[in-house]
Amino acid sequence: MIPFYKLERYEGNEALFELVMMSIVSSYVGEPLHVHAEGLRGTGKTTIMRAARDILPTIERIKGCIYNCDPAAPHCPHHKNLSAEEIKAIGVEVIPMPFLEISHSAKVGTVAGSIDLARLTDPAHPEAQLLPGIIPQAHRGIIFIDEINRLADTSPEITDILLDVMGNKPGHLQIEEAGLPVVEIPVSVSVWAASNPDEEPGPLEEIRRQLSDRFDMVCYMGRPDSLDILANMLEENSHFHKAKQANEAETAAADESKNEQYRNDIIKWAAMYEKTDLPDFLRNFIARLYIKHNLESIRAIQAMQQGAVLHSVLKNRDKVMITDVTYMIPLVLKHRVDGDTLVRMINDVDSRGSKDGILNFKGRKNKKDESDPEYFQQVARPLKDMHRGELVHTEKTLTPSDF
Amino acid sequence: MLGEETNVDKAASVGNYLSLYFGQNQGVRLGESTVISRRAHARMPEKRVKGQIKILINRDAGKTYLDYVDVDQVVHIDVYHKAGEIDPRDVARAIFWALDEHFLEKDPQLQYAEEERFKMVSGYANKIFITTNQGKGLLYDLFQDVLKPYIEGEEGHDHVHILARLNREEYYLAYVIAETVEEVILASGLKLSKVRNIVHGNQKEERDSYAGYIKLPWKNFKGQNAHQLPDKENVNQLILKLAEKFGGVDEIEEFMESYSTNIFKRKGIEQQKKKWGDVEHDVEQLEELGLIKDSILGKVLTKKGLMLQDFVVKHKCELETEIRRNVRKAPSGGSGRFKKLGKVDSKTAQVEYTNRNRTVNDPDKNWSGDLAVPETIIQAKKNSFLRGDTHFTIKKQDLHFYDKKTYVPIDICLLIDASGSMAGDKRQAACFLAEHLLISGKEKVAVVTFQERSSEVVVPFTRNQRVLSKGLSTISPAGLTPMANGIMTAVDLIKNNRVKNPLLVLITDGIPNTPLWTLDAKADALEAATHIKENKIRLICIGVESNRIFLEKLSERADGALYLVDDLNKDNLINIVRHEKKTMMETHKNMA
Repeated sequence: MIPFYKLERYEGNEALFELVMMSIVSSYVGEPLHVHAEGLRGTGKTTIMRAARDILPTIERIKGCIYNCDPAAPHCPHHKNLSAEEIKAIGVEVIPMPFLEISHSAKVGTVAGSIDLARLTDPAHPEAQLLPGIIPQAHRGIIFIDEINRLADTSPEITDILLDVMGNKPGHLQIEEAGLPVVEIPVSVSVWAASNPDEEPGPLEEIRRQLSDRFDMVCYMGRPDSLDILANMLEENSHFHKAKQANEAETAAADESKNEQYRNDIIKWAAMYEKTDLPDFLRNFIARLYIKHNLESIRAIQAMQQGAVLHSVLKNRDKVMITDVTYMIPLVLKHRVDGDTLVRMINDVDSRGSKDGILNFKGRKNKKDESDPEYFQQVARPLKDMHRGELVHTEKTLTPSDF
Repeated sequence: MLGEETNVDKAASVGNYLSLYFGQNQGVRLGESTVISRRAHARMPEKRVKGQIKILINRDAGKTYLDYVDVDQVVHIDVYHKAGEIDPRDVARAIFWALDEHFLEKDPQLQYAEEERFKMVSGYANKIFITTNQGKGLLYDLFQDVLKPYIEGEEGHDHVHILARLNREEYYLAYVIAETVEEVILASGLKLSKVRNIVHGNQKEERDSYAGYIKLPWKNFKGQNAHQLPDKENVNQLILKLAEKFGGVDEIEEFMESYSTNIFKRKGIEQQKKKWGDVEHDVEQLEELGLIKDSILGKVLTKKGLMLQDFVVKHKCELETEIRRNVRKAPSGGSGRFKKLGKVDSKTAQVEYTNRNRTVNDPDKNWSGDLAVPETIIQAKKNSFLRGDTHFTIKKQDLHFYDKKTYVPIDICLLIDASGSMAGDKRQAACFLAEHLLISGKEKVAVVTFQERSSEVVVPFTRNQRVLSKGLSTISPAGLTPMANGIMTAVDLIKNNRVKNPLLVLITDGIPNTPLWTLDAKADALEAATHIKENKIRLICIGVESNRIFLEKLSERADGALYLVDDLNKDNLINIVRHEKKTMMETHKNMA
């Protein structure tokens, strides 16, 4: 697999690189950011997302805890009632941030959790115990779902679980299995998804609107349009090149050091993110966008806030700027509003030069043809003052004829 | 009383005039600021003549504003005024008391029957709807201070908009209402606007003026920012707007080439209209955006226009995806307007597939399908404990199987009337339906057209979008209506292909006028219809009210259903086919 840093970046996919980084930073501090990449076949949606696995930072968990319990705040059924000393006694281990996938053979049991069959059929000590599924195991990490539109179409049951998990931050998961007590756990997982809206069964928002709205941002991938980039891509993928790279010990070391650099950056950004907040004037600005353009989903503006702060952090700025917010508008809204509304919003924001202009919503009403106040030029006499004979006029009597 | 003009006289005279002109499907200007008709009204910005009001004779007021089913129920009174705020509650109260006074004046006896009078007036209070720029509501509600908010862009921004359910005999009340509203306007310190002229006409399809809000990036394309994201969104949106009208990227290119400087590729406006319907609006919009300009050759693409053309060519893949995404979208706005006559009872075949997320455990039934291993083991474990088995055993009663889901595949053959009258918007609507069915469904689609003296399989049963759009682009409506011929071609096509639950959708705005076997075109079409029935093909026929008698006979002959619409637009067509597919699914479920 081509390492993350070597993947070609061009106009059509750079937004996804940024979103992936933003989501990792956000997940690292415990606030999920759900990202959906949509685009044509072979535009690298899956490649970029899977490659990000190698740059994930590490996290600490209670030793052996399959639910990835944070030693400072244990949440799973086994550890949540333990005292600090007891946890200390169990020990702590460092693992890479989880990155799990939900495939198309997934079932409710494997995704949420089910009875542990091995324990149940243990001839010596049969025991009914819960085996957590992919979602609880990915706590504090990332779940990747390829072709999410197909999953939503064929497995509505799994979609329902995802709706619950992605509904709030952190999400909520309830595992129910006959013969076991109901387990309810909070999960903080960023869901990354990829899909091609042009293939069966169509774009996600047509299949499950709710699920599509759960994604904070959608990135529409474009095709590369430069010869150099295409040539580089071919080279990276040629067998000769790959074989040569595999034989060189230096490459592995170089890759690792690059990945390490990403990890350090992510940890640095995460620390910055925890200290940065959106300035009040931008918060007002986002709120006004919501009111003015009659947006439906509050999630949209929440995502806009989260995204704007993350974007500024990624640019190593400690202050969020208006451009961070405007950059987010298409990413956050393209899957939530129709094209006309989006274009109106973008142009509305775009037309303002300085910061002061942005806050000035007065006098910005789009003047429509319809409300031309000069349409009627003459003043009419009231009916009261009129003679009976001049009350009713038809088209004929009103149109001056030439005959 | 001669010469004395009481309000009662004036009103009675106005009432007579109104019933005369309304009967001729006309509207009138009452006084100088009021327009009354039973239709919807619009300004005429397209002609840029100010002060003129258009009465849209193809849009009934009750249907348009109040969602009534029957026409001619409602009198539409618009009193125009200069900019300013009018409280609808004031209007409501004034009308209420004016009616009361008027009845009293007309019949002084009523002063002794106060209750009777009050009943009369409140009866009307429930029949009058008022909208001003400050709110709207039923007179009765407004009288009690209950008002709904005014929504920008609705009727009523520069006039008091009143809809009254009045009979012929009650038209005189329109005068009373208009006069009262004028008084309220004047009392609010505003002036009345003079309506210079009224004209009658059909409403053109309401189309969005996108030139107003789309901004193209090439204004100063020397700048560095030419490739920023928002600009791209703008261009995309423009293309989508054009695609809505023209169909696809290829058609947009063809349209733009009509304005190239290459004379061989240029197409006259008449030729364009035949294929795409009314294109003037789009040409106007493109001109406003600076993409087309006048030259010695006529209208040609500007530099910006050429850049757009270039963009379209370069980003064809992405644009096509976006366009298909829009085609997939279901029409918004509910079920649409259609009337269904007759019903179809035919058997449907189903397809089964396994649902891996639901298991069934039914020991009495013979099982078939995939065994659900984990569920079976859990059940067996539980049961062996209850049975007191010494060893872990699995019995038949423990077995769990994955559930099965079924669906009814429906292959659709569209039989489209391509006679001259279908040119333009109707053709576009039928083509859009075909694309929508292919893209949003899982089944095959075919298209057969009939025109002049023959019929043609334009698209054979396919799932390939290219085949479909290529076939559709060849449809060019002209000539007569050989329906019998078309039906036979479609029946043969269905017969000779392995299709599942065939549904034949006949879309026509006329009746047959070219025979196939005899000299009677209608009889031939009816004869052909019996073949549909013989081959167990399900037929739905979509037509317009004026041809109802013949189409009813036809669908009866074929054991099919008839859908009548007031307009063959794409929303109606899609909604009908969708409705029919749903019924097919449901009848299947009921039979199972």
